Amino acid sequence: MRLFNSFLLTALFLLAGAVSAQDETDSQKREPGHYNTNRFKQLYEEFSTPNMFRTASGAPGPSYYQQQADYVMDIELDDKNKKLSGFETITYTNNSPDVLEYLWVQLDQNKRAKDSKSPLIEPSDALPGDMAGNFVKNYMGTPFEGGFNILEVKDAKGNPLKHIINQTMMRIDMPKKLSPGEKFVFSIKWWYNINDHVVDRARSGYETFEDGNRGYVIAQFYPRMAVYNDVEGWQNSQFWGRDEFALPFGNFEVNITVPADHILDATGELQNRKEIFTKEMMNRYEAAQKSYDKPVVIVTQAEAEAASKGFSTAKRTWKFKAENVRDYAFATSRRYIWDMMAVKMGSGSVIAVSLYPPESNPLWEDWSTRAVASTLKTYSRMTFDYPYSKAISVSAKNQGMEYPMICWNYGRPDKDGTISDRTKYGMISVIIHEVGHNYFPMIVNSDERQWTWMDEGLNTFTQYVAEQDFGEEYPEAIAPNKKYPSRRGPAKNIVDYMAGDQSQLAPIMTKGLNTYNFGANAYAKPATALNILRETIMGRELFDFAFKTYANRWMFKHPTPEDFFRTMEDASAVDLDWYWREWFYTTDYVDIGVKEVKKFYVTSKINTEARQMMEANGIKESDLPPLVYFVREDSEDFEESMRNVKIEDVKTLKEYIADNIPVEERANLKNPSYFYEITFEKPGGIPMPIILQLSYADGTSEKITYPAEIWRKNDASVGKFIASEKEITKIEVDPDEETADIDTSNNTWPKRKKLGAFDQFKNKTKTD
Amino acid sequence: MKYFRISLLLLIFPLISATSAHKFYVSITKIEYVKEKKSLQIITKIFTDDIEDALQQRYDPSISLDTKKETETADEYVQKYILQKLNIKVNGKPVQLNYIGKEYDVDMLVAYIEVANITDLKSLEVENKILMEMFPEQQNIIHLKTPNSRKSLMLDKDEPNGVLKFN
Repeated sequence: MRLFNSFLLTALFLLAGAVSAQDETDSQKREPGHYNTNRFKQLYEEFSTPNMFRTASGAPGPSYYQQQADYVMDIELDDKNKKLSGFETITYTNNSPDVLEYLWVQLDQNKRAKDSKSPLIEPSDALPGDMAGNFVKNYMGTPFEGGFNILEVKDAKGNPLKHIINQTMMRIDMPKKLSPGEKFVFSIKWWYNINDHVVDRARSGYETFEDGNRGYVIAQFYPRMAVYNDVEGWQNSQFWGRDEFALPFGNFEVNITVPADHILDATGELQNRKEIFTKEMMNRYEAAQKSYDKPVVIVTQAEAEAASKGFSTAKRTWKFKAENVRDYAFATSRRYIWDMMAVKMGSGSVIAVSLYPPESNPLWEDWSTRAVASTLKTYSRMTFDYPYSKAISVSAKNQGMEYPMICWNYGRPDKDGTISDRTKYGMISVIIHEVGHNYFPMIVNSDERQWTWMDEGLNTFTQYVAEQDFGEEYPEAIAPNKKYPSRRGPAKNIVDYMAGDQSQLAPIMTKGLNTYNFGANAYAKPATALNILRETIMGRELFDFAFKTYANRWMFKHPTPEDFFRTMEDASAVDLDWYWREWFYTTDYVDIGVKEVKKFYVTSKINTEARQMMEANGIKESDLPPLVYFVREDSEDFEESMRNVKIEDVKTLKEYIADNIPVEERANLKNPSYFYEITFEKPGGIPMPIILQLSYADGTSEKITYPAEIWRKNDASVGKFIASEKEITKIEVDPDEETADIDTSNNTWPKRKKLGAFDQFKNKTKTD
Repeated sequence: MKYFRISLLLLIFPLISATSAHKFYVSITKIEYVKEKKSLQIITKIFTDDIEDALQQRYDPSISLDTKKETETADEYVQKYILQKLNIKVNGKPVQLNYIGKEYDVDMLVAYIEVANITDLKSLEVENKILMEMFPEQQNIIHLKTPNSRKSLMLDKDEPNGVLKFN
């Protein structure tokens, strides 16, 4: 009997449409079939097949390997002539199962060589005019004599090695092939002219302070081993200037010789502190190791200013050792102030450090080291305990750039000491960002040359979390704001970019060099996509565990995008193929709205629509089981009296309840008397959850979320039938602007025009 | 002296990518045609430090925006500069832009401008040269919204103006 009823109902109401559609197509030409274009299709075609190196779960596989490059270097700075020279010995260990015929070494400085091809790949046009100084420099002057001068390349015995330089890459031809497990030791002697990074907007170089002293922030300064791995072979894609670095891990022993009056800090642990520090500095340094709430100054502003008056011709060598780092950098100047503060980390502690000239005060003495410490705390909570001994923030005029344990950051007061909010927040944000890069990509060592978003996107996302934490830790730093004013992270901040002209957008999964709007594409959009994933799609608990799993699986290893995508699903049981596809592989955008709302009432009297269906299928009313009918408010069957009908007035329902529901349970039955069919539309491509806020006549409201999978069979519009005990007065989709919906004018029913930003401002200025 | 600004004209290949919070040269202008008010409502968002550099170079090196040192004159310069660089033609004819005011949103200056008495919108030509004389790679994005359409333009120094037609 039950079976029969269900069958009849299906036949009557559901199949009726399908059957007639079938009849129609029979008489027409048949449509061709199609491939699977469903937005929820698995990502098998985009992903490579898992293997022994990288598993389907997104973890390193049983045969995962990585190469090792250890360096011993002697470096000398010629402050007077702005030259850097070095002699390095590289011990390269082939941990791969492959026999290597040659090695590739990166010569990043050659990007600034006179014969660099970087300027040649940029189209140029006539400007309406140019400044005289630029004209002279551009068309009349001689170009900067940059780039590496490679003096010798020798093997361990001192025999010259055959090598060839192709722009920023140097191939070293070994006397015999390097078998799995073997090491090859060779040395390179080099020098180059240091560039002015302020003029160049470069990642390293010097800046000249007004008193003539220079601050050097030195990186990409030595020939560096390229990465060889299971996905790229040799990663020897040229350094054009944009896409950053891919580097193997290794141990470093570095001796850096600078003028004796310089203050220097670098990647790794200082080995000869006692030789270099005065007794006073040593005492301050020891105090700093125990100071967890405020920085202790090691070199004061007065001391830095006094040193700035001299120019020592004597030399001093700073000796460092660093283990398991992928790169090396240092900063040096006689004009640096130096402060430090301890940060609790796991069972021990690490040290947060700042180096800055007097030009950076007042500002850096207050917030630089504190921002470093706060960043380490948040990032360690989100990933793993910071495994290095220190993190240094160096003040550089106008750049932010990251290296293991050390980074350069901008943000200085105006000359009269004025600090605007944007200077302060710019400075704190850039410090959080660059210190955060210690985690991505210095430790979770992704390939920046190929995938900018893997470090910038993940890092900008975590930066957002860290900025919010910083605001909570130091409310006095952000007053009168209650929350840290983060620029990137909140969903609504990406709307302008994603709503833009499609010819100027590239998917996140694009090499940085080939994107149109680098900042939005590689930083803001992936950061926002992850933030939405955390807050709206997965929830913090599932997201944070999966994100942490990814970080721990790939700590001190080389992950690919798939390793990240797979791990996030593997650790959470949230099927995210559709999310990765839409947000990372396309330029689609989100736009979901309420298309239509219809009101219904219940009755036991058959209505016209049902009668027509019944007759078309040759069924008599007497064949039907007892039914409850829904009557649309604007249909001809609607009668005013239906408005006040209570459930118990509907004959069929009343009888059913009397026959089937025990008396004692009847009080628990809900009493819905308002029925709505809501039709949602999706003009945007990206399927997202429908976050629905229903406001009721009694002033209460309720939120319902339909998962994104509601769109799996109909990509354009879907309906939901809602039975409510209370009258609905307002329906709103995405009320808290958490999905990056690019057009919110279709988000409410009844259509209500919000007072736009323009009118709000205009009204405000009128009343002022 | 703002060395790096000047050098940007030099730099064919900017290393802006190295930085985080910096530095892509973009402004966003939203134009909405509100038919019942016969009004073109324009909101333009420009990086504060960029426009401050432009004003300092053009008018007065002491101009300071969004700090305690900001004066009323600065606001006049903002208005003067924007109205000089932003020009609009409606149905082929130049229209007058009324500068309503400005506010700041973190690192952006947000300016509000209105064009009144637009009874019919058949075509809109927008020329936005804001900051293009400062930064060769400056992109000025225009989003236009009318009661029944949405369109976008990406303006740069090669094509500082664009026309949108409505039927």
